Amino acid sequence: MARILVADDAMFMRETIKKALLAGKHEVVGEADNGRTAVQQFKRTNPDLVLMDITMPQQDGLSAMTEILQGSPEARIVICSALGQEEKVMEAMAAGARDYVTKPFNADQLLAAVARALE
Amino acid sequence: MKVEYINHFLDAGVRVIVQLIGGEVELGQIAVRTAIFTTQQVSIAVGITGQLSGLVIYGMSQVTATKIASAIIGAQHVSFDAMAASAIGELGNIISGNATMLLAKSGLHCNITPPSVIRGINVEIATAMPALVIPLYSKCGKIEVNVALAESPTPPAVGVPTAEASPAYA
Repeated sequence: MARILVADDAMFMRETIKKALLAGKHEVVGEADNGRTAVQQFKRTNPDLVLMDITMPQQDGLSAMTEILQGSPEARIVICSALGQEEKVMEAMAAGARDYVTKPFNADQLLAAVARALE
Repeated sequence: MKVEYINHFLDAGVRVIVQLIGGEVELGQIAVRTAIFTTQQVSIAVGITGQLSGLVIYGMSQVTATKIASAIIGAQHVSFDAMAASAIGELGNIISGNATMLLAKSGLHCNITPPSVIRGINVEIATAMPALVIPLYSKCGKIEVNVALAESPTPPAVGVPTAEASPAYA
């Protein structure tokens, strides 16, 4: 079981991800609807893993991931985005993402990515 | 605007709708609008930036939006509440994001803005280009896809003098 922070601007998507994580016996320790809040929540909750959307208001997910990794290079972050083009995936992985899940995804795909990132 | 641009949004729309809602999706007749405005009770607006720039609007009736939200959420919603609006917004986000994957394969690299859900008809949205419109007929009802996109001006190479000073590239 891992302590996970969920960052996505869509309430529906946060709820969907939370249901999948709870079914996978994980604990959701925080939520954020933009990148700036995600960075704040990371510092507050110190999660085992962050599930991070890219397209979010105020601060996008890639920028938030970079900021988190600057302060905590060991942080494990999995990107969950509707943007699945090769250069975006490569950009995220080069910036330090542990895995990348393209929307739409199902619970099994999400939990598999979480498991890989926690290995 | 090139028709191939809208084709990527239609291909992504059909694939995502089938995956999230199920059933089959049929395409209607293409039309051109000189201005982009909401013709449906619920619209999702997503901005496109990068090598193409503009706006994509997915419009539907409130009945269709509520049916789609119920199908995506997996629970019956009798009213178009905040969760239903969020699910509908995410539908537009995912279709647009998947469309940018297809555009990238054509050599056009784009990003999307977070979706905005607009309620109300005849909301005119100022764009400098006409919109191509194609309805998608899903098992939950009609979704009208409005695409208004243009190729972004290519920025001059660094150090290359231009006829006019351009603060954006200074």
